[in-house]
Amino acid sequence: MASVKLTNVKKIYGKNTLAVDNFNLDIADKEFIVFVGPSGCGKSTTLRMIAGLEDISGGTVEIDGVVVNDLQPRDRDIAMVFQNYALYPHLTVFENMAFSLRLKKVPQDEVYKKVTEAAEILGITEYLTRKPRALSGGQRQRVAIGRAMVRDSKVFLMDEPLSNLDAKLRNQMRAEIILLRKKIDTTFIYVTHDQTEAMTLGDRIVIMKDGIIQQVGTPTEVFDMPCNLFVAEFIGAPKMNTFKTELVFQGGKHYVTPYGAKIEVNGDKALALKEKGIESREIILGVRPEHFVLADPKDPGAIKCEILVNEMMGSELHLHVLADGEKLIVRIPTVSLTDDQRRSLVQGTTIYVTFEGKVMHFFDEETQTNLLV
Amino acid sequence: MKKLNDLEYLKLSKFKAFLYNLRLFFSSIPDWFGKLGLRIWALIKICVFAIRDELTDIGKTFVKGNWAVKLSFLIFGFGNLYYGQIMRGVLFLLFEITFIVYMFVIPEGGWHDLKIAHILQTGKNVGENSGMMVPDPNSKYGAEIWQDGDESTRVLLWALLALIFIVAFIYTWRMQVKQCRICMDITAQGKKIKSGKDDLKSLLDDQFHKMLLAPSLIGILAFTVLPTIFMMLIAFTNFDANHDGFKNLYSWVGFENFSNLGDVGQGGLGAAFGKVLSWNLIWAFFATFSNYFLGMMVAIMINKKGIKLKKFWRTVLVMTIAIPQFVSLLYVSKMFASDGIVGRLLLDWNFIPQSMLDARQWGLWDNPVTAKILLIVINIWIGIPYVMLMATGILMNIPADLYESARIDGASSVQQFTKITLPYMLFVTGPYLLTSFIGNLNNFNVIYLLSGGGPPNSSIGMVGGVEVGHTDLLITLMYKMTADSATSQYYMASVIGILMFLVVSVLSLIVYNIIPSTKNEEDFG
Amino acid sequence: MRNNKTNKQSLLGARASRNISNTIIYIVLVAITILWLFPFLGIVLESFEVGTKAMDSNLWPIKFGFDNYIRLFTETKFLKWFGNTAFMGVCTALLQTFFILSMSYTLSRLRFKGRKGLMNMMLILGMFPGFLTLILIKKVFHDLGLTEAMAPVGLIIVYCASSGMGYYVSKGFFDTISKSLDEAARVDGATRWQVFYKVIMPLSKPIIIYSILMGFMAPWGDFMMAKYLINANPDGMNVAVMMQTWLSKGLLNDNYTMFCAAAVMVAVPVTAVFLALQKYYVEGVTGGAVKG
Repeated sequence: MASVKLTNVKKIYGKNTLAVDNFNLDIADKEFIVFVGPSGCGKSTTLRMIAGLEDISGGTVEIDGVVVNDLQPRDRDIAMVFQNYALYPHLTVFENMAFSLRLKKVPQDEVYKKVTEAAEILGITEYLTRKPRALSGGQRQRVAIGRAMVRDSKVFLMDEPLSNLDAKLRNQMRAEIILLRKKIDTTFIYVTHDQTEAMTLGDRIVIMKDGIIQQVGTPTEVFDMPCNLFVAEFIGAPKMNTFKTELVFQGGKHYVTPYGAKIEVNGDKALALKEKGIESREIILGVRPEHFVLADPKDPGAIKCEILVNEMMGSELHLHVLADGEKLIVRIPTVSLTDDQRRSLVQGTTIYVTFEGKVMHFFDEETQTNLLV
Repeated sequence: MKKLNDLEYLKLSKFKAFLYNLRLFFSSIPDWFGKLGLRIWALIKICVFAIRDELTDIGKTFVKGNWAVKLSFLIFGFGNLYYGQIMRGVLFLLFEITFIVYMFVIPEGGWHDLKIAHILQTGKNVGENSGMMVPDPNSKYGAEIWQDGDESTRVLLWALLALIFIVAFIYTWRMQVKQCRICMDITAQGKKIKSGKDDLKSLLDDQFHKMLLAPSLIGILAFTVLPTIFMMLIAFTNFDANHDGFKNLYSWVGFENFSNLGDVGQGGLGAAFGKVLSWNLIWAFFATFSNYFLGMMVAIMINKKGIKLKKFWRTVLVMTIAIPQFVSLLYVSKMFASDGIVGRLLLDWNFIPQSMLDARQWGLWDNPVTAKILLIVINIWIGIPYVMLMATGILMNIPADLYESARIDGASSVQQFTKITLPYMLFVTGPYLLTSFIGNLNNFNVIYLLSGGGPPNSSIGMVGGVEVGHTDLLITLMYKMTADSATSQYYMASVIGILMFLVVSVLSLIVYNIIPSTKNEEDFG
Repeated sequence: MRNNKTNKQSLLGARASRNISNTIIYIVLVAITILWLFPFLGIVLESFEVGTKAMDSNLWPIKFGFDNYIRLFTETKFLKWFGNTAFMGVCTALLQTFFILSMSYTLSRLRFKGRKGLMNMMLILGMFPGFLTLILIKKVFHDLGLTEAMAPVGLIIVYCASSGMGYYVSKGFFDTISKSLDEAARVDGATRWQVFYKVIMPLSKPIIIYSILMGFMAPWGDFMMAKYLINANPDGMNVAVMMQTWLSKGLLNDNYTMFCAAAVMVAVPVTAVFLALQKYYVEGVTGGAVKG
């Protein structure tokens, strides 16, 4: 249980390959923080620098107020779960989990108590005498978590712990980690490339790209107010639709004009635009697929488009459509459609869609930053 | 020349693509040398800058250092002792004392030997006084006794050690001065200095590599690096049976031994070497590739679906690896000897007349052509099992779906071999082929125990005091030149050694630049 | 209907051609077996010949008996030579394994300054013929008294001292063990030494046995270095050098059958050890070839 503070952390591989740059972050005690980003964005490298598995090229890492830059991993009092589990193949599950305690020369009865307690929580008690080879992927993952749990360490690091599992198991383990987190109650740093994991697990999310932090915030913050185009497209699935268009300021009201339609901006967004004093200009407009609705062709805000692909997902339809030669994705809840409508949404059909005035995002074309942040 | 982009390249027919690659390869050669030159230049620049930085740092250390640091410029480890690093300090001090004792204190020590060894000074002897018979002062009858002189080999070895010692001395001096400065800085910052106990602990942790490497490195330094440098120096002397360094000191002759190699005329040294080297290369080529392809065939046969007793066939072949090679080599060599069992059987079956056997006309080892063929054939007998084992392992690693998709694409079994198995094997075993080729270049056992290098090649005659045979390799020649101390020509052996190094290094350089699988060392981790 | 027929025919054809090719393969394999076992059969048979006999066309002994074996142990110092070689085998196995493992482990799993340079240096040193160094080593060992009768000790040093340079096969093995095991152990509180002996060593049984096997076999097969250092001293002999002298021109007729007996005595234990540990050898050969 400890706070972690990273100040101007930098990692350079070889001579001049910059993997992480200017990384500043304060992680509060008992916070669950998630680093997320595409592969090669430096999230794992940052985690490994906190763990002491990579040298820190610049800046400082503090755990509990102590600079740990020059400490060996074993002196940092951290626990870590690896992507490929990294279980010791020659040791039983029990000995795997007891490994760190044995190194600390903890008496046997205490080792027994701690390991069996952790095994109980994770539901792996019956496998304690087996070797890792005899376990399934999910069970191995539990052992790896258990091995980290018995440490009672200050910080709990997890490096893509779920990405080696199949989709179903991953969902299940994700839920279990949320439960586990309540039981362990320590500082978590969790690395993933999967935005769903990040959104569901994290108290706060750190979104990274090319070694640089793009945005830090709660799941709601990064979803509702992405600070730039990258974050907007990275968070949420299917990804946000973006298109170049014009913002028009007319008679005290803002309008956007995608593909010839004209939609008024209202709600908080309109207020914010006014506050910032933004008038007519070129913008990149972002609209999430779920914010589209089917529209009446006569509606001035209706965008005419042609269906390319209709993906039936069960509870909703994902329509890949072509509007004026550009691809958009539209998500429509199945329950909102009549049977006739559902039947008519086939490839080649022309439909009209629109979106509400309060759900759009505005980005600067040049800097790609959110105009309202 | 004009470089094509990927799409343009794909348009070329197979033949044109080959020509294109060939031209690309040759046109890249000047570029390659240019890059090499640039890299060497960069290296020189780095070295110069590093030395400059070191020197300024030393100067700064002296100016800014306190009296303890200044004193450590003279007395090793003084600063360490002053700051409480007893262990390091004592070790540094011990090193300095050892150095001084070795160089100056003991009689005929390092410094003395370094002076009289006259390293690479053409025309001068290695050592000053040779041993000789002198009148015995105690004898009334004018008897003579042997008086030891400088012994060239010992002098040169000690001189070499002294050189290494000097380099180590400078390095250690620099290191301990730097450490003193660091101690001073750390103390000034009010932090704790590492104690001897910390040093020992770190040997098991972040300095663990030093502990693991130390024994190996000492062994390699003493038994490979030092002797190799020594023997390279010998190539510039006339160390042989007449100048054994004991009765007669040997002396530095400059490049004479190498310039003799330039004599490629009839009976010249260069011509002799050319002949031996060319057979050496032919031998290595056939020995490597005959084993490789035949071994692979055998592996494929044994592993073919539906062939039974797989384990039995394999074990039969593995037996040949298990039985010490000299046993089988010696026995097989006798089998094919002029009066060996093969000859006798042929006689019994009336393939050859008794007269031929008596006249030793049958002796396969006595005819250069049959001897060479026989060597390669017997080497196949020796080598197939190794390749078979290796190929079996690799064949099993080829994903089965490759073959399945090839069969669906309509490949026959021959096509499957040439399009999948062979490229895969060649790709994966590239490094093996290289090491195996080099191993065969120096395959002493097979040649020496089978043919002994014979039959003698009269067109070459004597080289370096030994009779050169038709099947002699450079390594067997080298062995023969040094084995008998009455005729030894060590300098020739040394010249051959350097020659062999050049051959191997050039080959390796080419292969390492061509084969992709030698480059991806880090791909596994 | 016609289609059906041709299908059947081609099916039959395929089976027939497979049968033919399998038959050819069996013939080849049987031929290989005969060719490969023939010399060994010859050695064994001729070793049981009574009395000395030069080579002839008849492998089958005229009279069976153990004369050659008795002669081997009573008239020669064969036991001593065998002991010398076995002693060298055991010592080389242990020392060489230590050197090779420490070198390959370090190069594979630890990162330190000068690692690449060290590997390049060893690569270049390896290009010099190893025999070259022996000229100086012989001279120094001679002064130290480690040649002739004491040659086994000298030879052990020669075999082992630089054996770290032969790290390639076992480095290839270590490279395949996931690096995250080391990292997990280090996070769990292990020093690098503890990682080495608590995590990696228990996983390295195959390569340890392979190294021991290779080390043990080396002295049995070595001829060149042994002959150079032993210099025909009967007390320092290993089996290879001695047995080769028996086959030299003047001694051949007297010693040929005894050579066969000695060959059997040497081959049987070594082969037994080798076949017992065959599995590890095959792993090493395969892995070594792939990783160079």
